[in-house]
Amino acid sequence: MVRLRSGDERTVVVGAGPAGLTAALELGKLGRPGVVFEADDVVGGISRSVVFQGCRLDIGGHRFFTKVPEVEALWHEILGDDLLVRDRMSRIYYRDTFFDYPLKPLNALRGLGLFEAARVMASYLHSQLFPIADETAFDAWVSNRFGRRLFEIFFETYTEKVWGMPCSEISAAWAAQRIKNLDLKTALKNAFLGNGAGNGEVVTSLIDRFLYPRLGPGMMWERCRDLAASNGIETHLRSRVVRVHHAGARVEAVEVEGPDGETRREEAGALISSMPIGALVRAMQPAAPAEVLAAADSLRYRDFLIVGLIVDRAELFPDNWIYVHAPEVRVGRVQSFKNWSPEMVSDPELSFIGLEYFANRGDDLWNMTDDDLVELGAAEAGVIGLFEPGEVRAGTVVRMPRAYPVYDAGYETRLQTLRDWLERFDNLYTVGRNGQHRYNNQDHSMLAGLFAARGVAGEKLDLWSINEDQSFHEELSGEEAERHGMRDRLTPSRAETDVESMLQDAFALYDEVAMGGAVGITASLALAIATAALLLGSGQEFVPMLSLLGQYLFGYQVTWPGLLIGTIEAGLVGFGLGWFTARMINLMVAAFERSLERRLATMTTLEAMTGGMRGQE
Amino acid sequence: MARSERELLLVKRTIARLRVAIVAVVTGMVVGFGLFAATAWLVIKGGPTVGPTLGLLRAYYPGYSVTWTGSFVGFAYGTLTGAALGWCVAALYNFLARRRSKRR
Repeated sequence: MVRLRSGDERTVVVGAGPAGLTAALELGKLGRPGVVFEADDVVGGISRSVVFQGCRLDIGGHRFFTKVPEVEALWHEILGDDLLVRDRMSRIYYRDTFFDYPLKPLNALRGLGLFEAARVMASYLHSQLFPIADETAFDAWVSNRFGRRLFEIFFETYTEKVWGMPCSEISAAWAAQRIKNLDLKTALKNAFLGNGAGNGEVVTSLIDRFLYPRLGPGMMWERCRDLAASNGIETHLRSRVVRVHHAGARVEAVEVEGPDGETRREEAGALISSMPIGALVRAMQPAAPAEVLAAADSLRYRDFLIVGLIVDRAELFPDNWIYVHAPEVRVGRVQSFKNWSPEMVSDPELSFIGLEYFANRGDDLWNMTDDDLVELGAAEAGVIGLFEPGEVRAGTVVRMPRAYPVYDAGYETRLQTLRDWLERFDNLYTVGRNGQHRYNNQDHSMLAGLFAARGVAGEKLDLWSINEDQSFHEELSGEEAERHGMRDRLTPSRAETDVESMLQDAFALYDEVAMGGAVGITASLALAIATAALLLGSGQEFVPMLSLLGQYLFGYQVTWPGLLIGTIEAGLVGFGLGWFTARMINLMVAAFERSLERRLATMTTLEAMTGGMRGQE
Repeated sequence: MARSERELLLVKRTIARLRVAIVAVVTGMVVGFGLFAATAWLVIKGGPTVGPTLGLLRAYYPGYSVTWTGSFVGFAYGTLTGAALGWCVAALYNFLARRRSKRR
């Protein structure tokens, strides 16, 4: 038990998801007083586990992997032996065929068939010869890199299912945000040395294996809640923060609506909020300026629901999950929770699967009754050929509003407006996927929670840099960063320098005019000196030889006037030669760079696809 | 802007600088060896008159001749001349490129 320091004001944590509970755990470790308010009746947020007839459902499927050692250490600290190492298998379903995912060329070719493969190739060649000029939309961006046909097969349907809007309306920047873990340095290494270069172990682990709690992700957060409570940080469920009172540059208190419907005031020494950032701004009292409120109201979210079906069969399919690209069904992905952890089912003779649907609150899917959704799920599983609807023993539905922040046109500007206004408060920290309106994975949210708690304790850490860049921009010294076990992420300057120096060496362009000037001046001086030396000294026998330059430099002779003319002409010829040489080098480098960019784009798009899908895990 | 995009932008904006010493050494070696090889080749070929044209370089390089000794002398002169030219080109290039990048 950590003894609380007397005199510290209590930190209020809003939300008991990964970010909030990690912050609570860290606050407890640091000996800071705090309390967690969660509007829902369970902890874990979107990372909760839902129990249905003894089976456990993971909302979205949460693969536990991270490149942040401190987060991984925390997982092991919280769960110990209850954290399993699981093999991964996932496939894409399209046109009655299952394709390995990540995609494998031969498998994809076999699945598509020769005719379709030829169409894909022709489409790719067309995209290379006649790329779409305006690449601002996702469809154009992907088509330019993969060809329209491949985009239609492997990107369009699923992406539109996830986001509920045409790919032509999705910003290409979405992919860019999802490629955060792939920088150019890594891409260069991969391009030259193969995908596993340098960190093969990590790459392999991300593709083939992952960590997973024995009883699903909710187990992590139930345990985390208990650990925080043992350090004095209690979590109150069904307690919604409805107002945040502030004065000057500080948050002073929150108003909490409890399970009884009564609202009470809780003083806050600091506020760590994982509630949607728009809702937070809306809750602030006194109210934010009108333009800030307008920005708060305009952020959009994508909602999500999952149909859990207990199926009367021991083995259904070997995958952890299957992406459903087929346009004939509305389901986006199918999970088999038993394949995530055997203990996710109550009886080994049963299977428990989750059919994931992406929706918007109020649309037809969202408004369907649970019974209708169970029926729809069973029927669509039958269409895909996973099992017969008659094999379903029981079903349940879990709705998860605001599951994904939407990156629609202009969201960055609106989000920046909110950030600018919120950053005036010294003791307010926004964390989590919705708290930052950022497509964070669980580890990013946890890191934000850790940073927020340490911010309360006096450290200066930039929460917004998490998941923005590979590197972070904290005001930490290298030694402090080392202490956090995240030196690579906390010392961006060194990483940047490495990349910059490498790029400068590899791809820097020559300044053509400067090169022309340098060669021209040098040629000019050389001819002037050579001519003057003959005019001033001995060696007259060389005069006829040097005079031969008159064949090329019109009017040149080994005379003083000839020197003047030759100097000017040699300068011009030298400039031309230097400029031409630099130009040719630059063209060659540019051609190589374009080739490299295409390879980078290919990898980053695949990464984006992985990331986009991973976001639901 | 994502980091990879920034890096690509950085690549597109990066202007190469020449390492003056390296350019000077390399061009010096090339010109020096070139003159050495040209002289030695004529000496090896032999004949009644060895290298009358190349020998005219003595106008600039006192002591140079188309002989074995001259080839080493020529190597030294060629190296110095090449190094001076290389240094001059590289230093001028860097100076001009720097000024132009400041203007940009």
